[in-house]
Amino acid sequence: MTSGGEAVLFWILAPVSVLGALGLLLVRKAVHVALGMAVVMINLGIFYIAQNAEFLGIVQIVVYTGAVMMLFIFVLMLIGVDSSDSLVETIKGQKIAGLLLSTGLGVALFAAIGSATFASPIGLKEVNAGGNITGMAVLIFGKYVWAFEVTSALLITAALAAMVLAHRERLTPRPTQRQWSERRFQVGKNLAGLPAPGVYARRNAVDTPALLPDGTPSEASVPRVLTAREQVNDPEPYAGAERAIEREIEEGTNR
Amino acid sequence: MIASLSGLTTEFVATKINYGAVLPMLVVFGAAMIGVLVEAFAPRAVRYGAQVGVALVGLVAAFMAVVLAVGHQGSTLAGAVVIDGPALFLQGTILALSVLSVLAMAERFDGIGADAFTAQGAAAPGSPQESAAVRAGATTTEVFPLTMFAIGGMLLFPAAGDLLTMFVALEVLSLPLYILSGLASRRRLLSQEASLKYFLLGAFSSAFFLFGAALLFGYSGSMDLGVIAKAIGTQSGMDGLLVPGVLLVLVGLLFKIGAVPFHSWTPDVYQGAPTPVTGFMAACTKVAAFGAILRFVYVGVGDSRWDWAPALWAVAILTMVVGAVLSITQTDVKRLLAYSSIAHAGFVLTGLLAFDRVGVSSVMFYVVAYGFSTIAAFAIVSLVRDGGSEATHLSQWAGLGRTHPIVAGAFAFLLLAFAGIPLTSGFTAKFAVFSAAIGHGATPLAVVGVLASAIAAFVYVRVIVLMYFTESGGDSVRVVPPSILTSAAVTIGVAMTLVLGVVPAPLLDLASRSALFLR
Repeated sequence: MTSGGEAVLFWILAPVSVLGALGLLLVRKAVHVALGMAVVMINLGIFYIAQNAEFLGIVQIVVYTGAVMMLFIFVLMLIGVDSSDSLVETIKGQKIAGLLLSTGLGVALFAAIGSATFASPIGLKEVNAGGNITGMAVLIFGKYVWAFEVTSALLITAALAAMVLAHRERLTPRPTQRQWSERRFQVGKNLAGLPAPGVYARRNAVDTPALLPDGTPSEASVPRVLTAREQVNDPEPYAGAERAIEREIEEGTNR
Repeated sequence: MIASLSGLTTEFVATKINYGAVLPMLVVFGAAMIGVLVEAFAPRAVRYGAQVGVALVGLVAAFMAVVLAVGHQGSTLAGAVVIDGPALFLQGTILALSVLSVLAMAERFDGIGADAFTAQGAAAPGSPQESAAVRAGATTTEVFPLTMFAIGGMLLFPAAGDLLTMFVALEVLSLPLYILSGLASRRRLLSQEASLKYFLLGAFSSAFFLFGAALLFGYSGSMDLGVIAKAIGTQSGMDGLLVPGVLLVLVGLLFKIGAVPFHSWTPDVYQGAPTPVTGFMAACTKVAAFGAILRFVYVGVGDSRWDWAPALWAVAILTMVVGAVLSITQTDVKRLLAYSSIAHAGFVLTGLLAFDRVGVSSVMFYVVAYGFSTIAAFAIVSLVRDGGSEATHLSQWAGLGRTHPIVAGAFAFLLLAFAGIPLTSGFTAKFAVFSAAIGHGATPLAVVGVLASAIAAFVYVRVIVLMYFTESGGDSVRVVPPSILTSAAVTIGVAMTLVLGVVPAPLLDLASRSALFLR
């Protein structure tokens, strides 16, 4: 602790970030975990700035809180906000053993590091003499230029890996509208295309099937994927509501 | 580092790069990037040939660059990269073993693409998309540039002069391996599980490495292995940072070689990954990781070894015993070889714990010998098929010695090498590490090592008995006739195993001449 102001900052923000970190472990909902993580990240950024590492602090906030956390939230949105991890133990006693071992490691590390006597800190004043960012640049493009260059191999690998694992290359040309139409006539089914989903007074989403002339829902009018996922809506309430309105209108005219 | 920065306000002086010394890495990374461009622009029909060609030419050129770099030894890039005897020896080893691995990976039998890899990694296993991709003749030729990137990282790993460069090298070599593990063409769910497991545990171990590096930075004020070594003599009262720092960095490094208790990923990943990739990981990753451990322990923190060597002793003993004992219970050939590789990591650690120049040369000889044998062994595993898929269950190997005498004979010979029978490279290598251990106060380790070898030998002999003296269960298991690629990989691997067993002197001599670290 070099100055009083820094001490005050530390003792206010450190408990907050510890709470955020504990939240990461103890909270069940994934979105709350993400928020806890964001709190920890922002606090770390502030600590860096308080310790004369402005660039690192800003990068911490921009990259981690801004970019990485946003990606995290996107993923949460994709897999569903409500999803939470299964807490069933697959290996018996794993939770307790893990807790004991990690506590042991923590105690050992605390004891070992706590026993060290630190010399007075040199601080960043000297390094920051030519400006914080200049100092960083000298390190990155000076001594660590090879590590910096080799990191580009890491980025290319990541891009290549994302393509290999996630990109489904189209291997056959996409059929045109005309080809679809010709194919339908060859097969002789659904000549005018599949029926559109149901349009009701209170709902016209794709997950609600249209009704056939006899009043039964048409399975062909909803996407296959939704049927497989069992996310198809029952059209009955909407159709029923519509029939009720029609009846009321009719009765009104009769009166 | 801080001291060297004080005068920096004046003008930036670019770091001097000795291009002759880093040329091998530049060639490999260059070939990898050409591979990426081929992937992007070449039509699908020529990609396979172009990728294999680029990879092989790049590796051979890099090997020649290593030979040329002998004249450029020294610390370059302000100490971030140290090209000395051990670095060059291990780089040459990695490149030679990589050539064999790429040959094995490129095997396509009578198909259109590399046989071990899936047609389309993004297609869900068993989906219509996957079968469409197979019908359309898609291939995952990206595996070759990925392999080259991994090799580039491996070349840097044992040559890293500071912990930051070492960490970057660790990531560069690991990330492509995570992907390659998940691209098997058969039993794809197992492969993807292996990939994810390896990735998660690898990320975990990287965090340990970083934590340790941070503690060592706190201890010495530098990431430089040389500065850390100097601080050990002068710094007082800070051992609380030094010992945990060393142990945590070692956790990250020992994870890569699969030492117990950081081995739990090894059997699953070795089993799930495409078989040639398993051979590549078992051989090349081990060479690179042992190189990094050697440099970290011998150049960096060797002077404080009384504080942490007991932990490494425990790890070595556990690794040998657990690897050997658990290999008895295995019923899958790939898992058996995985546990065998764990046991071998333990044997190499005994040589490392000699803390002497002889230890360095014996470790380097061991990884060469083991690397050639293991690549050939996994290449043979990929040839034994039942129907379309690999027959990895041990019972399927019964009677293979009668139906396919040559392949079974080669495999039996490699198993004898793993067991350490004389006239194979395994014997010479084991003799080298154990005599280094006995000569420098690690006799108990050598005793445990010999006992563990005896247990492991039982396992290997059991497989040989199974192949030669047991009636085969059915006649559906057969050996697919390999093309020139796999044949070359297996032949060279077996030949090296024999040569290093019969005339080991030239390589032992080279290893002991290049066993001196530049400090």
